[in-house]
Amino acid sequence: MHNIYSLYKCRVLRAYELTDDVKLFLFRFEDPEVAEKWTFKPGQFVQLSIPSIGEVPISICSSPMRRGFFELCIKKVGRVTSKIFDLKPGDLVGVRGPYGNGFPVEEFEGHDLLLIAAGIGMAPLRSVFMYALDNRWKFGNITVINSARYGKKLLFKKELEAMKDVAEAEGIRIIQTVTRDPDWPGRVGRAQEHIKYANTDPKKAYVCVCGPPQIYHDVFNKLIEHGYNPRKIYVTLERRMKCGVGKCGHCIAGTSTFLKYICIDGPVFGYYDIISTPGLI
Amino acid sequence: MRYVKIYKEKVFDFLERLKNYGKLYAPVKISEKFYDRREIKDVKQIAFDYNRTITPAKRFFIPPCEEMFEIDIENAEYKEKIDEVEPFVLFGLHACEIVALRILDGVYLDEKYPDIYYERRRKAGIIVGLSCLPDEHCFCNLWRTDFVDIGFDLFLHELPDGFLVRVGSPRGHKIVDENLDLFAEIKQEDINAFKAFEEKRQKMFKYTGSFDNIRYILELTMQDEIWEEEAKKCLGCGNCTLTCPTCRCYDVQDIPDIDGKRGKRIRFWDSCQFKSHGMVAGGHNFRPTKKDRFLNRYVCKTAYFYPLGTSYCVGCGNCTYFCPANIDYLGNLIKIRGAEEVKNA
Repeated sequence: MHNIYSLYKCRVLRAYELTDDVKLFLFRFEDPEVAEKWTFKPGQFVQLSIPSIGEVPISICSSPMRRGFFELCIKKVGRVTSKIFDLKPGDLVGVRGPYGNGFPVEEFEGHDLLLIAAGIGMAPLRSVFMYALDNRWKFGNITVINSARYGKKLLFKKELEAMKDVAEAEGIRIIQTVTRDPDWPGRVGRAQEHIKYANTDPKKAYVCVCGPPQIYHDVFNKLIEHGYNPRKIYVTLERRMKCGVGKCGHCIAGTSTFLKYICIDGPVFGYYDIISTPGLI
Repeated sequence: MRYVKIYKEKVFDFLERLKNYGKLYAPVKISEKFYDRREIKDVKQIAFDYNRTITPAKRFFIPPCEEMFEIDIENAEYKEKIDEVEPFVLFGLHACEIVALRILDGVYLDEKYPDIYYERRRKAGIIVGLSCLPDEHCFCNLWRTDFVDIGFDLFLHELPDGFLVRVGSPRGHKIVDENLDLFAEIKQEDINAFKAFEEKRQKMFKYTGSFDNIRYILELTMQDEIWEEEAKKCLGCGNCTLTCPTCRCYDVQDIPDIDGKRGKRIRFWDSCQFKSHGMVAGGHNFRPTKKDRFLNRYVCKTAYFYPLGTSYCVGCGNCTYFCPANIDYLGNLIKIRGAEEVKNA
């Protein structure tokens, strides 16, 4: 029987600084057979191991259309992520996955797409965004709202800024906003305050939200106020999974009538799951 | 199902022969108050009338600490460490613990992600059940886990002059067939005695009725004061999860050797009663207060386990019995359910 905890060996190809404490890493599988077969859905995560330091669950932030490679966005916050942060091109790590349900991207097809990110929340949503770009003809209008406290903390700021003009012509709107930065020349205010500038049709748009747990209720209220369909709102949650396969119990959340493992039942949940289950966010 | 009988005078012979099938573990009295499952040298030590052991049977399948991988740090290689498991016999498991093992099966051996470490131990373990009489902490009847129909190889039901044996697996048949000289056919009086025992047992439970609706009631009363007050008593020691036969949370750690070239990945029991359990990177905690953690156990235990159609709690009463702060788990659930049902005489 296959050991579900076995790791694939991966090599760091590129480490790129996004902000002072977030780096984007590009990984390649060492085993060509794995590289050819391995695929994932936007919103899924991997378990990344630094030998003898530990293992952490990280959302994949690249498009699944590019086989054999994947990108992870790492924020330096803990013991393991600090070590990952120091990785150099050529270094080896262990990876297993992908785990989780991911966003229902097949269901999104044929509809407008509104992506709302706050802080590090941009990482999993970038995967959805890149997937939508790679399959541009399958989607309607797309809006990305990327927010952070300070301009220098905006993830993928340059990447999104650079594609802004071309994107607008293609029906893709990019909104980058900050909440606490007086020196920022662009838009200010929380992500939810910019929903009104989106080019998506509330009646037929799917919405993906990711950010710190505190923002969700405000964002939901604003979305519904603007006429978005609650059934089409999805969020992706975070826990400290130790196994990723529904065994270790660290990501169990919910109540006795709705007990969920975030790692296998999530991390993507619909609006009604979230509001009917205290403790999920 | 196949039924055979074993007379009292042959029981020790039978236990002795069980050793041929692997190391024999059975409950032994280890102090005035406590029993534990130990390896048996002398079968006369075995306690037949025990109610609960200080560690549940899960420890034979999920050890408190186990090595999963050997790590070659330089090459980032994780070599799985899978040893052969010698066959072993667990004697004297009560119905609740057998259901608990089936719950663990549902978690660890699900179709998509079967756990190889658990599986090889589960395959090596022969389960011999034993009937029991409840004490004041037992409430398996409320969860309908007081009688098992699968999950064991043999199950012994007490009779006045021996045991009625139910055979529950091909391995059980093999054991019976290979030791036919020890077993006899059952007679009408044995059936009567079995029925009488079951009836007597049902009457000994403290509460009657069922906990079918308790998860909804719990969900509706989560804001009640009782949880605030009960949580204040809690020491957060994690004893309840340690002794729970279905609690299975574990933590994983990589430990480097002193030379920094090799290391090992281990996993060990964790508890949701610890503050670190709900912590995520960056310091946010999903269960920051003691009340959150206290209630989390009630929520998790009463939740519905779909593959088996039962709750995660099997009603063994271990968490109450071993709680150093005397928190009455069953009492709290009865309290929120309200309208205490008439006690059995």
